Amino acid sequence: MGGRSVMAGILDIPIIARGKVIMPGENAVQYQGRGGADFRQADPHRHIHDLVLGDTSRLRDLHDTPMAQIIELLVELGQRLALDDNPLLQQSFELALKAGGLAEPILRGVYDALPAMFERDALTALVEKTIGIAYLDGWVSSGGDYDGVSIRAVGTRQLHITAGNVPVVAALTIARAGLTKSDLLIKSPSNDPLTANAIARTLIGLAPDHPLTRHIAVAYWKGGDEYMDSQIIRTSRIDKITAWGGMSSVKHIQKFLTPGIDLTALNPKYSLSLIGRDTFASEAAMDEAAIGIATLAGFYNQTACANTRIVYVESDTDDDSIERVIALGRKMVAAFAKLPPLLSTPFTTPNRELEAEMAAVALEDDFYHVEGDTLTGGFIISKFNDRVEFFDKLANRVVNFVPVDDLTDVLKWCDDTSQTVGIYPESDRARVRDCFALAGVQRLVSLSGGDAMTVYANSHHMPPGSPHDGIEPMRRAVRWVVDMRPAQDEMALQIAAE
Amino acid sequence: MPLAISLTPDNPGSWTYRRFEDLYAIPREEREKLQLEAVRINFARMRNRIPALKKLADRQGVDTIDKLEDVLPVCFDHRVLKNYPIQIIEKRDFAKLTGWLDKLTTHDLTRVDLSGLTTIEQWLARLEAYGMLVTYSSGTTGKLSFVPRSYDELGPWKYHFYSVNRASSGVDAWTTKLPTFFPGYRGGYQTMLKMMSLFNVEMAGGDEHYYTLYDSHIPADLMALSGRLQSAEDRGEVMSLGLDPALLEQRQQMMAQGQNREHDMEVWFGKLIRDFKGQRVKIGGTFSDLYRVAKAGLDKGLVCQFAPGSIVEGGGGMKGYKDAPDDWEAQVQAFFGVARLGNQYGYSECIGNAPLCSHGFFHFLPYTVPLLMDEDGKALPREGVQKGRLVLVDPIPTTYWGGFTSGDEVTMHWEEDCPCGWGGPRAAKTIRRFAESEGGDDKITCAGSQQAYNEFMAFVAGEA
Repeated sequence: MGGRSVMAGILDIPIIARGKVIMPGENAVQYQGRGGADFRQADPHRHIHDLVLGDTSRLRDLHDTPMAQIIELLVELGQRLALDDNPLLQQSFELALKAGGLAEPILRGVYDALPAMFERDALTALVEKTIGIAYLDGWVSSGGDYDGVSIRAVGTRQLHITAGNVPVVAALTIARAGLTKSDLLIKSPSNDPLTANAIARTLIGLAPDHPLTRHIAVAYWKGGDEYMDSQIIRTSRIDKITAWGGMSSVKHIQKFLTPGIDLTALNPKYSLSLIGRDTFASEAAMDEAAIGIATLAGFYNQTACANTRIVYVESDTDDDSIERVIALGRKMVAAFAKLPPLLSTPFTTPNRELEAEMAAVALEDDFYHVEGDTLTGGFIISKFNDRVEFFDKLANRVVNFVPVDDLTDVLKWCDDTSQTVGIYPESDRARVRDCFALAGVQRLVSLSGGDAMTVYANSHHMPPGSPHDGIEPMRRAVRWVVDMRPAQDEMALQIAAE
Repeated sequence: MPLAISLTPDNPGSWTYRRFEDLYAIPREEREKLQLEAVRINFARMRNRIPALKKLADRQGVDTIDKLEDVLPVCFDHRVLKNYPIQIIEKRDFAKLTGWLDKLTTHDLTRVDLSGLTTIEQWLARLEAYGMLVTYSSGTTGKLSFVPRSYDELGPWKYHFYSVNRASSGVDAWTTKLPTFFPGYRGGYQTMLKMMSLFNVEMAGGDEHYYTLYDSHIPADLMALSGRLQSAEDRGEVMSLGLDPALLEQRQQMMAQGQNREHDMEVWFGKLIRDFKGQRVKIGGTFSDLYRVAKAGLDKGLVCQFAPGSIVEGGGGMKGYKDAPDDWEAQVQAFFGVARLGNQYGYSECIGNAPLCSHGFFHFLPYTVPLLMDEDGKALPREGVQKGRLVLVDPIPTTYWGGFTSGDEVTMHWEEDCPCGWGGPRAAKTIRRFAESEGGDDKITCAGSQQAYNEFMAFVAGEA
């Protein structure tokens, strides 16, 4: 059976159901894809039992599989996720390219990074650090006085509502589910209906009968399909839900959430940078800061949560001070042009909405200074202590510079939605770290280095198992079960005597 | 062919004094010649006198208008009327706010006395005393956009308003005063409410004949700050905004009022329906409110028994009402017992809104010049049927620039072949708001004050 429909431009997408590949047949439903192409899939209403696991005893196979064996399989899977050798991934890549979120060299870089996510050392460290392999493979005694008390991390039945803007999410989700010995149902996004599919099908090709393969299901259904949601989101069928995209993806399922279903909502985030006063002490420091800002604002063409969109600058608001901020903005735009294409490229189509916003404030030069555009990047300088009101529309490498008297003034704009904070110079880190952590930010990174790849590496190379958006998803994905054998006689007496 | 009426291009405001029938009857070629000349003269007068326009025209390199399409690059995006920093509202920095507005008008606002002002409402009143007629509207974000109109435009504004209402209802309000019911607020400077005080009350025959659900309105200050207020409340920092406690008290009242709104409206309308049985009346409001009332009545088996010739004049489409049935219009007509539903399309930046004809099209009058542009901002041809972003150029104002790009996607019929008999270019009834974002659902959003604003508005609208 082919992967493409006879109808031009309409993709046939299978439902992946625990090792089975169900192609759209007579009762197929057609869906509107976003940006890419429309697609057809077997009617999910007819395959609910293929998607959910009602009987928890059926998790026993995965439960009894040693972690070493699961890691072994994931490593092999990773080796088959090289874009050049994998036709399924190539199809997903083409579709993502058409959807147009990321330019070709950047998207290729994202896909090329997939195999590395499945390297043995990385996977082992990830599960060992966050949960502990011993806890997943058996009951771990608490030792000493509590020798009779054992703890085990047990797999759960998980629904992941994934976001389509980063293909990495699909790979990450599959790896994490395997490493927690969990049953996984992925609800694909309409703008990337293929990546999770491609990875799951690659796994089926590799080991069709492995318990890991038998606990992965992937399907698309429309957000707000009440029948699907009511059938799937039940305590008898799902233990954990992870929703990427926060409220927008949870909105529909809200009414079906009940105690007993643990929801992790990974909210949309935005990110910012802090530029301390000392930056303006020398031209060299301004250059270094500008490269740092350009890198954090520009990588992945500013489509990621971690991209800087607002830069708060410790500066006065008199004309001379604003001129210095403008100079910093110009250096940033110049640095955009020098970013390696793997990180960032100029845009080919303008962002009309943002350009209209820029044009409107550009007429108001008492309050704003605007340069650049949405093709090669640009900036809006606020000449007073507040961000632009359309800050949530900042994209296409357009950044808002906001002068503040003191970096701690920025705290009032920080909350749970403020993900990554870039800092320059390093000497300011100590005075901002704890107060920003309390305000809600989740990651503090450096703008120093003077070179794009260095800045990028410094802000991205975290050890396996590091927190994500302020939480530890792996620890949260398992059920921590306590087994208490009777205490030894003398201890029982001792407790009774107390 | 002889012309029925004579119009001069250097005073398009005076066109509003003419009958709309005669204006629609002007042959297209004549009309477009007049319009081009009127826009050319108006732009030449304003170009260097309105600082914001001068800045835009300099940047775009536009010095003269030689054909109508030349005006597109110098039309203000609708955002220009709110491109001040929200901070100056929060700090109620009236000097800065006035300085901002000063760049949009030929009036010299540097001489307005700003002493003693503490609220936006007071500021607007002070401006009115000075000769301005500044009104505001608040879009989906809650930020106020201020239309820099003045008393200089009042005459044409009023004549047009009477005329367009006669066109859409068939009733001449200069001679026929109808008691009017409006299920909403009263007073203040929100554009629609200010027009009520300026025109509708007089059309009804005086204050005592104009019935509103509430006898007050949401202060501009609350509209402008509701988003920030909610987030400040969440942080326990409301007092740090330095607002008048009376304003905060009023906010609580508004929210409480909103919770009873549907019930209050039913009771209020119920009494009017009984009291005015057998009389000719006019009913105004948003269609979603009118439908709510109609549905509640019809569900109880009731219909109104007003005298023939009563009119319903609605607006605002059905936003604010989820899942309205396809026949909602028929239901509204059946309940109120009227033969048609009057309707108009326009936006507050432009004086000349367009009445809905008997065949379901909004016809523009000659003193409003519509243009369409594609997504690249290029003019679409003025021929056949075209769909694009609507730009309206209003050549009437003598103290501000009247060219505005809307956020609406409109289908225009340029050939003047409407079976209704009216001339002029016409817009199809279905008008779509361009989405706030053109980036799709996956765009990064930061809920914050937008959500807070929405919650507040849902509350006062009785939808929460």
